[in-house]
Amino acid sequence: MNSKRLPSSPCPHRAKFNSRFLRALARINKDKPTSSSYQEICKRNWRIKIADDASMASAIGSRRVWSRVMLWKLRSRTSYRALIRSRAIGLKRKKQKVELSHADQLRQLVPGGEAMDFSNLLEEASHHIKCLTAQVQVMRSIADFYST
Amino acid sequence: MERITSPGSRSGSCRDDKQFDGEIEGLMTEDDLQEAAVVPVTESTFTALLGLPANQAIELLHETESVKSPEIPTADIWKDSQEDQRTFSYPFNCSLTFPTNAALVERAARFSVFASAQDSPERCSIPSISSENSPKLKAEPANSESNRSSSPILSSSPTIPKQNQKSAKRKEREKVKGSVKKSKYVENGNKDGEKLPYVHVRARRGQATDSHSLAERARREKINARMKLLQELVPGCSKISGTALVLDEIINHVQSLQRQVELLSMRLAAVNPRIEFSFDSLLAAESGCLSTGSFPSTLTIEPMMWSELQFNGERRQQHQNQHQQLWEVDLLQPPVWERENYNNYHPSENSVFSYNSSAESVSMHSNQLKMEL
Repeated sequence: MNSKRLPSSPCPHRAKFNSRFLRALARINKDKPTSSSYQEICKRNWRIKIADDASMASAIGSRRVWSRVMLWKLRSRTSYRALIRSRAIGLKRKKQKVELSHADQLRQLVPGGEAMDFSNLLEEASHHIKCLTAQVQVMRSIADFYST
Repeated sequence: MERITSPGSRSGSCRDDKQFDGEIEGLMTEDDLQEAAVVPVTESTFTALLGLPANQAIELLHETESVKSPEIPTADIWKDSQEDQRTFSYPFNCSLTFPTNAALVERAARFSVFASAQDSPERCSIPSISSENSPKLKAEPANSESNRSSSPILSSSPTIPKQNQKSAKRKEREKVKGSVKKSKYVENGNKDGEKLPYVHVRARRGQATDSHSLAERARREKINARMKLLQELVPGCSKISGTALVLDEIINHVQSLQRQVELLSMRLAAVNPRIEFSFDSLLAAESGCLSTGSFPSTLTIEPMMWSELQFNGERRQQHQNQHQQLWEVDLLQPPVWERENYNNYHPSENSVFSYNSSAESVSMHSNQLKMEL
């Protein structure tokens, strides 16, 4: 196990991610009126997705290729919708799984993976998995808290 | 070879190589011209050597001349050549007086060293043309060797552009394809001709010591190490053997994680508006977060402090010095808390959120509190 990588990276970034994400959530809650129409929910869903992506990416900073790609996508404001749509497309693409090789599939999943060679791709994928698990944990705990 | 118009550092180095090619080629044409001056043969032989019609060769030399002249530090020589050309009947623009040709060659050699440092505006025309002629260059050293004293330099120098061109070709291929095996190509190119840092790998007993296989083996070991890391990260992967299956599992895992994030965000969006926040349950959730996650230890202290602060007003004074910002929020809240009316207070949740002690959030919370009160 590569000791230098695993224990060090989640800890400081996780605190940063938590704080930013919670602040963003609070802001989202504060701004909108408490209506539960479908459109409002969709809008908020979209904003929350943006918020958690942005907070995770900014917590990681520019250290990793995928975070840089995400930050760039978020900052070029025209492509917010494209970012969300690309995720949906990534989910739909599992139908074509047989046609693509493993490396290509991984490239599609990890943001910014198109332009990397295989070894770097694996490293970015491992880091991305770590951060995704952290994100999922935080969001799940918040959602559980809110639902009880 | 297609023209490369894409900018970038790699293309810059390619252009440098091509420029060097063009320059060497210009030198070669000079030598041939001198040869032709000795033997009363006109440009037809040169173009026959090049295998091009005369017009194209002239265009080529024109272009190499015109583009190179503003950049090369030895611009004076080219200017001389341009002046000379008017006196000669030859259609070429190259210099036909060669008293300083050795100096030219030396300068060209020096220029090759500095080629990477320079960046010229128009190189797109040169690569395509010089690339056409570079295979012909191999024939030319054979002709010029017999003549010149500087011939050994010239014979060595075409090999350099050839190798540069090879690596440049490879780099272009990489650019065009964006292939996975870029590192391998670069390593091969490095080991072939250019003197760039080597990858030091010791060959094991019974294994091939070819440079190619060494590089491939190093790459494979790198990839295998990273695959092992990934296997440990993804649950249930350590039992599986075989790269393809492990990759399948990894891909599935990443997809499931992304789907979970989406689902959770939908849940948060749907659930949020109807919530009445209760401070105690929030604390419980946060402590649950903290136990599962890996928060720094200072954060664990704070929720405990908050719970103490709720019930013991005296203790606030003890924590004044340590948590000034929280205490500031505290001042606004004490009557509320002593009433134990926590449930409907949005700001209480935000006060928990101000863990990171940023002044902005505290001021925001205080504003909210004022609004609420």
